[in-house]
Amino acid sequence: MSALIELDRVSKSFSRGGLFSTRRVEAVKEVSFALDADKPEIFTVIGESGSGKSTLARMILGIHAPSSGQVRLGGRDVATYERRAFMAEVQPIFQNPFEAFNPLKRLDRYLFMTAERFGGATGTSAVDGSVDEALRQVGLSLPEIKGRFPHELSGGQLQRVAIARALVAKPRLIVADEPVSMIDASLRMSIVNLFGRLRDELGLSIVYITHDLATAYYISDRLIIMQQGVVVEQGPARAVLSAPTHPYSRQLRDAVLTPDSAGAFRATHSRKAAETPGARS
Amino acid sequence: MSGAGDAVPVLQVRDLQAHFRTHYFGVNREVRAVDGVTFEVNRNEIYGLAGESSSGKTTLVKTIAGLLKPPLEMVGGSARFSFLPGWDAIGRAPPEVVRAIRWRHLSYIMQGSMNVLNPLRRVRYSFRDFAWRHLGGSKVEFDARVVAHMERVKLDPSVLDAYPHELSGGMRQRVTIALATICKPDFIIADEPTTALDVVVQKDVLGMIRAIQCEMGSSILFITHDMGVHAALTDRLGIMYAGRLVEDGETPEIFSRPLHPYTRHLIASLPRIGDTEQREGLDGTPPNLAAPPPGCRFHPRCPLAMPVCTTIVPAMVETLPGHRVACHAVNPGMAT
Repeated sequence: MSALIELDRVSKSFSRGGLFSTRRVEAVKEVSFALDADKPEIFTVIGESGSGKSTLARMILGIHAPSSGQVRLGGRDVATYERRAFMAEVQPIFQNPFEAFNPLKRLDRYLFMTAERFGGATGTSAVDGSVDEALRQVGLSLPEIKGRFPHELSGGQLQRVAIARALVAKPRLIVADEPVSMIDASLRMSIVNLFGRLRDELGLSIVYITHDLATAYYISDRLIIMQQGVVVEQGPARAVLSAPTHPYSRQLRDAVLTPDSAGAFRATHSRKAAETPGARS
Repeated sequence: MSGAGDAVPVLQVRDLQAHFRTHYFGVNREVRAVDGVTFEVNRNEIYGLAGESSSGKTTLVKTIAGLLKPPLEMVGGSARFSFLPGWDAIGRAPPEVVRAIRWRHLSYIMQGSMNVLNPLRRVRYSFRDFAWRHLGGSKVEFDARVVAHMERVKLDPSVLDAYPHELSGGMRQRVTIALATICKPDFIIADEPTTALDVVVQKDVLGMIRAIQCEMGSSILFITHDMGVHAALTDRLGIMYAGRLVEDGETPEIFSRPLHPYTRHLIASLPRIGDTEQREGLDGTPPNLAAPPPGCRFHPRCPLAMPVCTTIVPAMVETLPGHRVACHAVNPGMAT
């Protein structure tokens, strides 16, 4: 068995509307890709909101069943897995760590429960040990986190706890849906670098879902670009982003505003350019 | 102060302090969200304000706009508008004065367009609710003016008969921009107006904001944490950290020659397409504003921290022409 996770012509459609006018909305159309079990990688899914990237993530996590096609983990259909056994292999990380954790619940509860349910740890010392190990992998430790509530930590620390919680289950695949978009700029790169370390040191594969092309270029190995549920371009991340071929990928790349590309925007939108009629775009 | 010496500042903020004060169960708590901020916004320019969450950006603009609700209090300093002579802050002027300048002279573009537009009413009625009493005239005249203005922001007039949920996020944000600009205000506060939008739509909307600003010659105070947006759009840029302004100057100058260690980190840590260089996050976490560190608030995370930084607040000093920095390492021997 060579594929860790395999999507085989996966589609998902939702029906909208009521009794009289039912509309089908195709969120994901015939998406196929596979991640190799022997070669850990960061696989990025890029797309704007409404492109179906979160629906795709939910199908990989087994939250939604595909309307057609199959998601296979280790060669077996995800739908046939027992839920706990599946969650021990695949773990999610969500966008907003402040929403992912209940504000009235201590953080260590999440870690301990994950260790018991999915990590297979039994007994206090084994649970403590596996939680501490996972926290140390993200640069924290159990004494720092024990008894703390979510509001006592910054967004960056909280997202680290969310990653540690996923690691406690010792999964083979992590699905991270926009994990850095709510993180402060000064802390964002440390989270992105952490994903790289998890891949290199722990051999984890990560499905990284984002709309941020710059971090995708920085960290990922392969990527797909989605538009309205369809994969319009795929390949090695740096090759695709350096020379995108599909018009939509090019449009996306050109819309990224960085300090380096700002000159072009300024040239067309500067005060002077706008003062001359017809120069507005 | 800035390169545009001939311009009259539309907004002059002097040593502004705004604190959140709560009293619960006999315990007084004071969060110093804005602590001694001084800057100016000139006519016909976009002044950018950058900083991470909880750095006080939104509190600062709320105080400037006079949107003070307990527990937020304006504790000291002033924020003078050129169109409001005689009052040193909108929050201190009587309600009838404030009503007269709102929307006519000062308007607001907010982040969540869905929070601005009434979800139960067609867009046309949102325009009537917001702007009719400021523009006056008959209903027919007003509607004609709205239609003309919609064309300026490249929206089809049929949008006026749509409900907000029928429009895409980009269209809705255009509608709120149209709402904020229909009275041709002198000053527009834009608080993260494009953060919720996709990059492709964001670029369009930013282009439109710039075009409208040029056409009307108004000033914009533009807030976002996205340094790429600042680089593309703003004329001058102020960097906030933990309730204080740490650096401000012409935007291209800040990007080509950042002086404050925090600004340098912000710019250096941005990943770029076509560049695989390793980029590091900053150690430590943003400070708790209820108990900020003494001296320079950045010193616990600063690579250049010196003993003086832990005790004395660095003064904002014009280090280069039009470029102010508050840092002991950059301006040795200066203190407040």
